[in-house]
Amino acid sequence: MLIIERLHKSFLADGQTVRAVEDVSFQVHPGEVFGLLGPNGAGKTTTMRIVLGLLMPDSGHTEVAGVRTQNDPASAKSRLGFVSATDGVYPWLTVREMLLYFGDLYGMAAPDAQSSLQRLADIMDIGPLLDRRAGALSTGQRQRVTLVRGLIHDPPVMLLDEPTRGLDVVGVRTIFRYIEQLRELNKAVVVCTHRLDEAQRLCDRFGLLHQGKMQYHGTLEDLQAITGREHLVDMFVDLIESSKVEQPNGMPLAPRGTA
Amino acid sequence: MTFSWTRIGRLARKELRETLRDRRTIITLVLMPLLVYPLLSMALNRFLLSSGSAPAEGYVVGVADPIQRMALEQLLADPRSRPPEPILNSSGGVLAQFRVVDTGGVSPVDVLIDNGLDLAAELSMGDGGVESIRLTAYKDDQASQSARRILVERLHWFRLAILEQVLARSNELTITVADVGSVQSSSLLGSIIPLVLVLMTITGAVYPAIDLTAGERERGTMEALMASPIPRTWLLWAKYIAVVAVAMLTALANLLAMFVTLQFSGLLALMTQGQQTIGLLATMQILGLLLVFSGFFAALLLSLTSFAKSFKEAQAYLIPVMLLSLAPAMLSLMPGVTLAGPLAVMPLINIVLLARDILNGTAQLAPAVIALASTTVYAGATLAMAARLFGNDAVTRTSDESIVSLLKRPDEATPQPSVVTAVMVVAILVPVTFLATNGLMTWMRASGAEVSIAVRLIANALVLMATFGMLPLLATWIGRHRGWTTYRLQGASMGAFVGAAVMSLGGWAWAHEAILVADQLGIALLSEDQIERTRSVLEQWKQVSPLLLLVTMAAAPAIIEELFFRGFLFSSLRPKMSGVRVVVTTSLLFGAFHVVVGSTLLIERFLPTTLLGLVLGWVALRSGSVWPGMLMHFLHNGMLEMVARYHEQFQFLAEGYDDQSHLPATWLLGATVMLGMGGLIVSVSTRSGQRVKPMSDLPTT
Repeated sequence: MLIIERLHKSFLADGQTVRAVEDVSFQVHPGEVFGLLGPNGAGKTTTMRIVLGLLMPDSGHTEVAGVRTQNDPASAKSRLGFVSATDGVYPWLTVREMLLYFGDLYGMAAPDAQSSLQRLADIMDIGPLLDRRAGALSTGQRQRVTLVRGLIHDPPVMLLDEPTRGLDVVGVRTIFRYIEQLRELNKAVVVCTHRLDEAQRLCDRFGLLHQGKMQYHGTLEDLQAITGREHLVDMFVDLIESSKVEQPNGMPLAPRGTA
Repeated sequence: MTFSWTRIGRLARKELRETLRDRRTIITLVLMPLLVYPLLSMALNRFLLSSGSAPAEGYVVGVADPIQRMALEQLLADPRSRPPEPILNSSGGVLAQFRVVDTGGVSPVDVLIDNGLDLAAELSMGDGGVESIRLTAYKDDQASQSARRILVERLHWFRLAILEQVLARSNELTITVADVGSVQSSSLLGSIIPLVLVLMTITGAVYPAIDLTAGERERGTMEALMASPIPRTWLLWAKYIAVVAVAMLTALANLLAMFVTLQFSGLLALMTQGQQTIGLLATMQILGLLLVFSGFFAALLLSLTSFAKSFKEAQAYLIPVMLLSLAPAMLSLMPGVTLAGPLAVMPLINIVLLARDILNGTAQLAPAVIALASTTVYAGATLAMAARLFGNDAVTRTSDESIVSLLKRPDEATPQPSVVTAVMVVAILVPVTFLATNGLMTWMRASGAEVSIAVRLIANALVLMATFGMLPLLATWIGRHRGWTTYRLQGASMGAFVGAAVMSLGGWAWAHEAILVADQLGIALLSEDQIERTRSVLEQWKQVSPLLLLVTMAAAPAIIEELFFRGFLFSSLRPKMSGVRVVVTTSLLFGAFHVVVGSTLLIERFLPTTLLGLVLGWVALRSGSVWPGMLMHFLHNGMLEMVARYHEQFQFLAEGYDDQSHLPATWLLGATVMLGMGGLIVSVSTRSGQRVKPMSDLPTT
């Protein structure tokens, strides 16, 4: 499972300190899908990058399946799968070559990578594509290859960064099915998105990030009870509206964690 | 994940697959040489033919009417217009042919302008025949200019012959010609091939370098790579191997295409002047040279493309580099430019010059070693820089990383410099010390006796401080590394000092033996000249105060070199390497840096200095401090110098002992005992020191 504990991270941009992430904590359990929601610049990507060990937090820590990213980034990375909407492929490699290459990057022995590839190819229906050149794939096919790429090393925790961005209806449906499969495979899943309607259908629990802070945090029922709103979209509109009126201490924080 | 070369090999195979299947690589790899060389040879053919010998059918000279034509033909046919035999022989032995044509009333100059002639002639006829001739050639047209020059010469011979008849000379002027000296080496082939090869190697490396770094970002595969647990440097290694491989493939393809073209067009014989073909050995040497060169250039390209976010940006970085590398490469075409002095350490140009020398058969060992070694060091440094930059952009959110960020002082102090920093400092030190010692030598030689030996000694010490002292210090300051730990200034146990001092009593004898061994192995030939020079230096030492000698030749090197080799370098390598490796690496560098003095290689210094480095390194490792080694280094140098200065007074100790033979066995035995005893003292004292610590740390429960 995934534990994120009191993360703080600020950047220096144009001589000003920007607090990208401020005191963010949450946990995701196996078989659970957590929606990390927020508008652009809310701190979602920064949080992900800290989990991935690409950024060091100013304080706080993250733990992936029992390994602290900050202590042993390599082990933490090998327990994480990462898929993003901007993911590309190597146009001149075949799908098989590319997926086995990533297996190698994750330190898998060749036979293990091959059997894992075969299994995932059946699930994600990319069997016929394996020996095609990746550059010749359609957008939908490429998307499925990328999804397999994130799972090739069978990680217990999956991070999906804006997985539906730029996809058509069919593509979005593929993502939905994929996330369902991840749930069945008992993975702890984090979905970063600003598509609140989709998140509401997909996720078991939610964290609403705004201006680097975790504003609300819990199941849909929890959030509805706190905000008095039915839909995530309305909750967000409220948040953004109220933040325009300067409040010295930010928004009233929801009781943290029902985890 | 454990490092293995097979894994790196697998990773590199993926990079190679990716880039070799790409159409654009194939274009530079195959199509370019296939197209470039035939075109180039056609242009060259035209140039060589027009500039060299006359066209087979002769130069075409146009005149306006038949009368002029007859007159000119008569003149040319007259044996008196023939140059004398020796002069003709010196310019090829064949009389250039002229074909005179009648332009039929049209001005021959106009026909010349329309490229219908090589030369236009206007003869004005008088009663006694031709009165004057006006010859018009086309500016910048080699054939036209040669035609005019030859014709003017023939007319001169004609006039001279008439004059001779008139004057009826008594004593004839005979002219004979001869050649002296060896063949001027700079054949066209030797100059052009290295240049073309280097440029083509660069061209071959550019595309894969961009594709495998900036391309990853543009394709959107960089984030996934960075999210995987594989160390970034491994990925970079794989990419580096792929780029070098493609660059070498391009070089090979070009070499092949070039020779095939030259062979078939007959240019090879023309360019080598029929006297020299490229041997297999020279070809292998050139290929080896290209490997070193592409190793350097691939690293340079990767470090530049590593922070480009797109193809376009990468190209924008690379174009100025390509242009900049063109200029020095051109230098090799100039006659009189030799691989010596500062040029030997200039990246790119040293390789081009060395390739030229190999092709001309004039390569020399010392500059070749300097050129190859410096290029290798630069390759390592630029690769280290690339390692620091590669993938950074995918990591940091604010993506305004640039070259400048390498020089930005970090906010937090670190206990020691990184390996990357150490590699870069060494890389900068190579050309800097080379230039500094070179400059110093030149200055001393030029100023001759005016500069006293004291001033020389001081200048030497100052150069040492400015290079090995200041550069690492600057790096320490920029990188905000703590001086105490960087230079390993912490104290050591008393025993370490005593042991180091005792060891120094035995060390010098073995240093002496090492020089002799090197000499016997033929590694270092102590030439008479060198021994003589050393003698004169020793004579001069007698004139300076022993104190000055000790300060400049013992204290300064001991302090500066220990701080650098056993301080700065030691601390930077220690976290990444085992103690043994650190000692070996630093002592090899210690030895290598002592070899290059001015533009001469004092190879005989390598073995003794490296051995001394090993001993000093071991002391530094055991004691955990730079100080005992410094003491030992000082005593070692100081004793050698004092013995040298007062050797007459010491003569009684070594009856019948001759400078170039081995030391008496008893001396060596004594020295060995001293070394062993000293080593034992260091060993024991540091061991007990280590033991004390955990004891005192024992919990009191």
